[in-house]
Amino acid sequence: MADVLTVDHLQKKFGKFQALKDITFSIHPGEVFGFIGPNGAGKSTTIRTLLGILRPTAGRATIFGQDAWADAVSIHKRIAYVPGDVNLWPNLSGGEVIDFLLRLNGQKHSDRTDELIKVFALDVRKKARTYSKGNRQKVALVAAFSSQADLSIFDEPTSGLDPLMEEVFQREVLALKQAGKSVLLSSHILSEVERMCDRIAIIRQGEIIEVGSLAEMRQLSRSTVRVTTQQPLTAIEALPSVHQFKAKTPTQAVFSVDAEALGDTITALSQLGITQLITTPPTLEDLFLRYYNQEGGKDEQ
Amino acid sequence: MSSRYANTWALVRLNLCHDWLKIFLWIAGLAGMMASAAAKFEGIYGTPKAMASIAQTLKTPAMVSLFGPFTATPPFSSAVIYGAEMMVFMGLFAAMMNVYFAVHATRAEEDAGTSELILAHAVGRQSPLLAAIIELLMINGVAGVLEALGLQAANMPGASATGSWLFGLGLAAFGFMFGTFSLLFAQMVSSARASTMLSYAWLGLLYVARMGTDVKNPALTWWTIFGWIEKMHLYTANVWTPVWLMLGLSATVLFGAVALANARDIGAGLVEPRAGRSKASRFLQGPLMLLARLDRTSTIIWLLGLFVLGAAYGSIFGTVGDLVQSNPMLAKLLGSSGVAAANRAVVLGLANTLVVIFAVVAAVPAISTLLRLNTDERKGYLELLHAAPVSRLHLFLSHAFEAVGVGTLALALGVLGMGVAGNASMTTPISLARFMRGFVGYWPALLVVCGLAALLVGLLPRLQTLIWVVPVYGVLSMFLGPMLDFPKWAERLSPFGWVNAVPTRAVAWPTFARMTALGIGLFGLAYVSYRRRDLTMN
Repeated sequence: MADVLTVDHLQKKFGKFQALKDITFSIHPGEVFGFIGPNGAGKSTTIRTLLGILRPTAGRATIFGQDAWADAVSIHKRIAYVPGDVNLWPNLSGGEVIDFLLRLNGQKHSDRTDELIKVFALDVRKKARTYSKGNRQKVALVAAFSSQADLSIFDEPTSGLDPLMEEVFQREVLALKQAGKSVLLSSHILSEVERMCDRIAIIRQGEIIEVGSLAEMRQLSRSTVRVTTQQPLTAIEALPSVHQFKAKTPTQAVFSVDAEALGDTITALSQLGITQLITTPPTLEDLFLRYYNQEGGKDEQ
Repeated sequence: MSSRYANTWALVRLNLCHDWLKIFLWIAGLAGMMASAAAKFEGIYGTPKAMASIAQTLKTPAMVSLFGPFTATPPFSSAVIYGAEMMVFMGLFAAMMNVYFAVHATRAEEDAGTSELILAHAVGRQSPLLAAIIELLMINGVAGVLEALGLQAANMPGASATGSWLFGLGLAAFGFMFGTFSLLFAQMVSSARASTMLSYAWLGLLYVARMGTDVKNPALTWWTIFGWIEKMHLYTANVWTPVWLMLGLSATVLFGAVALANARDIGAGLVEPRAGRSKASRFLQGPLMLLARLDRTSTIIWLLGLFVLGAAYGSIFGTVGDLVQSNPMLAKLLGSSGVAAANRAVVLGLANTLVVIFAVVAAVPAISTLLRLNTDERKGYLELLHAAPVSRLHLFLSHAFEAVGVGTLALALGVLGMGVAGNASMTTPISLARFMRGFVGYWPALLVVCGLAALLVGLLPRLQTLIWVVPVYGVLSMFLGPMLDFPKWAERLSPFGWVNAVPTRAVAWPTFARMTALGIGLFGLAYVSYRRRDLTMN
């Protein structure tokens, strides 16, 4: 089956400022795709280009095989979108906004809509001006989950939600996935991305620096090793694949090791007589920080 | 100073830092207009004959309704005529300036959420309001002094230092008074938009009230507040009492505003917002209906307001069209049929001026609907719409349709109100169709102004507020142009100056067709530029 969304060397300039330098990735059908990067890296700009709100300077974005700029209207019939900053017309009630948004997509207020209003615990009679940020997000989320979109785009959708609602959000996203729908999830909450996403793209300063599944990314990264041995660990510190070596005592240490050299390192350790060994694969947070500290730091100098 | 007013001066400085350019433009505009008009006056009305003739005109009810009564006795001087012609008009502009800055410094900051940020610092709860009061005092003080100095520099024959200072400072007190009204309204309602609307409704009401009393019974004008500005009798008796009245009322209103501000929460109004519908009405479908729903209250107010304004003016047509009363000689000179024709000509002449006013006023809601395309964008309201299957053409056309529709209805209702009330007050009525010529004639001008607004929205979104220059200039040139002897090309700078003297004359259909085509062309260009650009981001 063809990809739901493909972005091909997308670039966007605002005057002289190059917000997007080179964005390339694609989303497969039925996949939850994570999009992570710090503030100002270009996540929202990418999403707004995908929605045809911004016109690409170069490169191309296609959704359902159609051009994101030229065929925006026909694409939008099949997508749902929740921005990070939901702003609603202050004098409409939440219920009015939900119904209005559904009708724009040719849909109706259904039982599913009522169910979502209930699980998100939203008071739909309140005027939008009196909603908190989280409640405004709930309005957009109810409308998005209630429409049967083939592709849902979420731009930091849980930044105003409490942990209970975050849980509801994750459940609903997984339900979409089970129904074979695709999701693009941009988020700061790495544990959320780690739990839900099949594949992840990391963006930094307008460039995609890594795309792949978490397992693939871990392959490229380092595991943390905590070890206690009978003989001193001095020889281990000198190995080229071992980094950030910190010894508590001569026979007890914490260090990280390149993923591909993990086997060799364990072999070396076993010769020293292991009494205790814990290895942890890198979390997404470790990966994220590593990409940023290493390469981001260099660029900013 | 209690902690409720802590750090007020820091806020004043901050406001002045933000607003200095706007303040400068307003003050320069007001003072410059006054000084340049004064400098020009001697050239136009220099001879006793010219003065006698303009005095005669100013005494007619039509002119009284627009400019206030002319009470001076001969011998006239340029300064006396200048004072009578400019006072009410300048008062309107001074009030508008104050409404803007009063709302801008209080409610608009709350809407934007900046008040919340500021109040979280060591700033007193009442400091923003006090800072706004101080800012208004400063703006009006500077404007008043500059206006007085400008008048002295123009040195019109018959001008006295007392008169010039009374004019400048009186205008400052008058403007400040309307600023304090806005500050009061800002505490009562729950948004900047609503406080501006309420301020203008109040200003309009008082203006219309003073028009009625001026034409029918000038003594009652004392009760209309707006009329105080006329009672200063510039360059003749030079009465200071109205200035003290204005300052006294301002103080009272401020007392009320501070008390209300004390009683309410930041961001809230006096009236708690009611709960809304849990489901949308059947009609809320698509962007056009959305706009109609969002603008519902303000649309009703504008339409009703224009009808009332039209009717208020129309109700004096009976007095206006009775030339014999103000000039008994006419009956002998013209005979009864001649008088009837002259009366009719006077009423239609006034109707022409009024239709321009209606067209300009009707352009206001139309322009603000068009500007919404970008302002709502900046506020982020449209982001969800863009992600829906709504094309830019659909969105653009919805705004264009709503704008032109409301503008058209408002203009039609203004003319209709004028015609209906006019016929009720006149002994020999003029057919409604004749009055509606005014509507048909000026409608294309409204369309062109809307087209210009749309073009700015599409092409230069950051400069879109510049469009307000067009209606303001339209009023200035049509109102003061004939008085100040503007050259023809200057009147033709605004689309309102392209229309012939309807309803006195018949509608010039070629002009109608050309202007309509131009308006549609402008909308087309506007769409092309809107379609191709990035949407304004917040």
